[in-house]
Amino acid sequence: MTSFEAAGARPRSLPNGWWGMLVFVAGEATLFGCLIGSYFYVRLQSVHWPQGGIEPKGVLVPIVLVAALASTSIFMQLASAAGVREHAGAAVAALLVALVVQSGYFAFEVHDFRADLAAFSPHDNGYASIYYTLLGADHAHVALGLLLNAWVLLRLLGGLTRYRLNALRAVTLYWHAVNVITLVVTATILSPSA
Amino acid sequence: MLRPESPQEDRISTLFWIMFGGCLVGLGVVAAFLLLGWLRRHRPGLPGGGGDNAGSGIVIVLGVAVPIVVLSALFWYSDLHALNATAAPAAGSGQLQVEVTGHQWFWEVRYPGTEAVTANEIHIPAGVGVELIAKTADVIHSFWVPRLARKIDMIPGHPNRIELYARDPGIYRGRCSEFCGLQHANMQLLVVAESQQQFQRWLADMGAPAAEPAGAHANRGRGLFLENACAGCHTIRGTAATGTLGPDLTHLGSRLTLGAGTLRNTTGDLAAWVLDPHQAKPGNRMPRLSLPKSDFNDLIAYLETLR
Amino acid sequence: MAIEVYTPTARRRVDRLDAIWTERPGLLGWLTTVNHKRIGLLFFFTSLAFFAAGGVEALLIRTQLAGPGLGVVSPSVFNQLFTVHGVTMIFLFVIPMGIGAFGNYLLPLMIGARDLAFPRLNMLSYWFFLASGCFIYAGLLMGDGPDQGWFSYVPLADREFSPGLGVDFYALGLIFNSMSTTATATNLIVTTFKARAPGMSLNRMPLFCYAQLAVSFVLVFALPALTVDLVFLELDRRLGFQFFEPANGGSTLLWQHLFWIFGHPEVYAIILPAMGIATSIIPAFAQRKMIAFPLVALAELLVGFIGFGVWAHHMFAVGMPTVTAIFFAGATLMVVIPSTIQIFAWTTTVAMGTPVFATPLLFIGGFIALFVTGGLSGIMFAAIPFDQAVTDTYFVVAHFHFIIFGAAVFPLLGGMYFWFPKVTGRMYNEPLGKASFWLAFLGTWLTFFPMHIVGLLGMTRRVYTYQPGLGWDAYNLAETIGSYLLAAGLVLIAVNLCLSLVRGPIAGPNPWHAPTLDWATPSPPPEFNFPVIPRVRSAYPMWDADDRLDDRRRLEDGELLFDAGHQMPATTVRDADLDEILKLPTESASPLLVALPVTLVFVMLLTSHYIGAGLCGALALVALAGWHSREPQAA
Repeated sequence: MTSFEAAGARPRSLPNGWWGMLVFVAGEATLFGCLIGSYFYVRLQSVHWPQGGIEPKGVLVPIVLVAALASTSIFMQLASAAGVREHAGAAVAALLVALVVQSGYFAFEVHDFRADLAAFSPHDNGYASIYYTLLGADHAHVALGLLLNAWVLLRLLGGLTRYRLNALRAVTLYWHAVNVITLVVTATILSPSA
Repeated sequence: MLRPESPQEDRISTLFWIMFGGCLVGLGVVAAFLLLGWLRRHRPGLPGGGGDNAGSGIVIVLGVAVPIVVLSALFWYSDLHALNATAAPAAGSGQLQVEVTGHQWFWEVRYPGTEAVTANEIHIPAGVGVELIAKTADVIHSFWVPRLARKIDMIPGHPNRIELYARDPGIYRGRCSEFCGLQHANMQLLVVAESQQQFQRWLADMGAPAAEPAGAHANRGRGLFLENACAGCHTIRGTAATGTLGPDLTHLGSRLTLGAGTLRNTTGDLAAWVLDPHQAKPGNRMPRLSLPKSDFNDLIAYLETLR
Repeated sequence: MAIEVYTPTARRRVDRLDAIWTERPGLLGWLTTVNHKRIGLLFFFTSLAFFAAGGVEALLIRTQLAGPGLGVVSPSVFNQLFTVHGVTMIFLFVIPMGIGAFGNYLLPLMIGARDLAFPRLNMLSYWFFLASGCFIYAGLLMGDGPDQGWFSYVPLADREFSPGLGVDFYALGLIFNSMSTTATATNLIVTTFKARAPGMSLNRMPLFCYAQLAVSFVLVFALPALTVDLVFLELDRRLGFQFFEPANGGSTLLWQHLFWIFGHPEVYAIILPAMGIATSIIPAFAQRKMIAFPLVALAELLVGFIGFGVWAHHMFAVGMPTVTAIFFAGATLMVVIPSTIQIFAWTTTVAMGTPVFATPLLFIGGFIALFVTGGLSGIMFAAIPFDQAVTDTYFVVAHFHFIIFGAAVFPLLGGMYFWFPKVTGRMYNEPLGKASFWLAFLGTWLTFFPMHIVGLLGMTRRVYTYQPGLGWDAYNLAETIGSYLLAAGLVLIAVNLCLSLVRGPIAGPNPWHAPTLDWATPSPPPEFNFPVIPRVRSAYPMWDADDRLDDRRRLEDGELLFDAGHQMPATTVRDADLDEILKLPTESASPLLVALPVTLVFVMLLTSHYIGAGLCGALALVALAGWHSREPQAA
């Protein structure tokens, strides 16, 4: 194809920004792989788990929360699809719903984290150290996602450009990755309770 | 490994020489290709004719097939066959045990089941397999006596065991083989292999408390040892000195070296060491002592009685 | 091809592109550049400065060890020297040089692109590299440098046994540095996938690019293990966590596993760019295509992939279960195969071609000899009983220096000669080049070969001195002399290149008649690289004369010009069909404005000002928002 007007219209391939985000989340997924691997490595060397008589976590609330978070992938994907079809209003709406649910999730998790800290401290033992680090890393990634969503939302309110659409699609990918990672992290954290 | 003194080291040595021969062949083949390139630099193609497919064939044969065969053979010989020689003694084998604990920067030596405690020197009966238990009191160290056995790391929370065996009587040098801080370079030890009788006598000696010092100077020296900082770090069994930060000194006089192989165990070197340990081993944990000269001489006189 | 004489129409088109792409002059231009060639040069000179620092550290180490019981430096200084030497050479020299300098500069040229996919990210990566390197050296210069070894085993690296700031400079500095490396790797991957010239399907991509792709993937997947390890270390040291404390439910060996899960793939990351350079120089100088091209490409990717499965061979002395050790020994032997494939592909290509043994090819010949020697000693380590005898001795030091110096650095040196005419437009001095090779080569052998022997004689690593009468003295002296010879060889290379920069004869676009697209541009390349995006129909585009004549015709006709702004085509991933026109960003201060607060975050963390670190982090996010408020691609 030599005519560049035709080439510029609707690209077949995913945008560079999306690919860049894919590489980034591959690295982050590996990071969590190492954290989870460390969790199980320390666990396999321990007689009791959790160590130090720490109470295993209740499963109901975390499962509900992570399900809510995972559901936001649907809204993020809807937002992206709307953006690709150049329906700016629909994209903004879907993004807003996702952001609200994600913020709610985060608020609950912060509350839960502080409740944990009141019960046991990361310097108590190896279990506590890996518990807080693994969970804290996940929450940090969710927090970053909230900031990214807020930024994209703000920019979309000023109009839909190719650059902003690429950002929306990249951030959608980020959220899919974070949601999957959060599911795996939650399963790991809850595994002693199983 | 180049002068092996045990079956384990024999096996490792043989393995090395076989691999070395293989390396010479491998290097020779590659060098031959490069030489061929140089000699035939004005003529394209292979010597016997043959185009790119022949070239690819060479890559597959020499780059894939031959290495698979050679490396499989190496894997079988070294990791499935020779490896058995370096295995730790089976648990509950009833062998003589010696327990070595690494410290920054000396070796604590005990013989489980006996009262024997010493430092920086291990005695074993020649021709008898000994189970060595490797532990650490602080950071990771590694026990290595090259002519007798493979290395074994000393890891907190993870005691390890190897077989220590010396075919012939003699003195064998060892050293710490895992970087353990400032004086890692000066953490050596000696393994003395001797006849069963000599060993038993030595073991009994190491288990006995310190002899009572004879003579006024030595007696005064003991008093000085107990009053000053010495007793806070060192143990001399049979006295009130029970410190554990430094090596046990009960039988200091019987050792061949001082400071974990850093100095010879002579009066001069002992005096120099006690006066300023940081001359020979800068930054080690033993503080300098400042005593009046006559007190100092009495202290040295006492230490020399600790045979 | 490279169009040297332009018709008036062509000249007009080229001038128009020049006007669009030329950046601001002077210092401000360098501070705000987003051009991959300028950034590549920044990486090049900064890496070289760190190489010199690491070299001085090495010379001090060798001088101290020239004889037994010398007092050239104190034990404390020595331990800092060898720690920082390792950190510098790996993180601040060989990786940034391989991907940040060579990859950055050459990859877009080889694939027919005008820049990397993310030009501003490229510059941010450079700032992170510079800042993290200075951060680590600040510790050394303050006398509180890292001294626990580059591998930093716990408990030695814990607060209790390393109470100063040295380990924190190391840990935080390397986390910072990994952000630079990850950014560059990401950039190279996306560029390789999306910015190749139309027609350059994956099977027509130069082997150099395969190597860069492989190294980038290796880094993306290996660095997180190190980051996690370093975070655990800092949490233990600063906030009293218990990851590594067995008495409190932690594990000492956890450090080593995570470290080597990173550390082993890292050594393949070190060697891959060098393999890529070798596969560029050999076809050019042998004047023929690479034998078994698809196998070589596959081997470059496999080396990186299998390299993730071998890490515990660094730990054979820790007392692991025999079954585990055997598994890792088997995997270690498997990873040899991709290297033997490449060695025989290279040597067969040279043997079957009509090689001209000019300086670049001499360096590659030296590389092959050193790589094979180092590789053979590496294979020996897969024999577990042998490993358990010689690990942590100078035998290992010999092995990895043959590989890292011989096999990673020699191609970098050869590459500097090879691409010198392209980057500077001048040719280096050939006799001086050959002399510099022989001096460096002989110096390398004399420095590192005796280390095999002295290791077998029982000399352990990381010792600031050794006792007399052990039979080690003569070998150590020889190694020290060798190191000075080697240093002289390196200085001679620098002298040659500096003099040639000023007085060398003018070089044309393709003095080597090399096959890849980097030789299609004038020397040095213009800011926009290619006036027309070349169309590619084989893996050796410069040897397809018809296609290059076609480029000339298209310049005349104004086809595939992409001159409506700062433009570059994006193509599809597998077949490189034209897909989209990208508008790339022009000069920007944003990378610097983000890099400054991020640097402060690390300084704040080092000095335990956690609130301050948070504030600086927020400032960095604000700068990042500013960055993304300038959108180069219009709707």
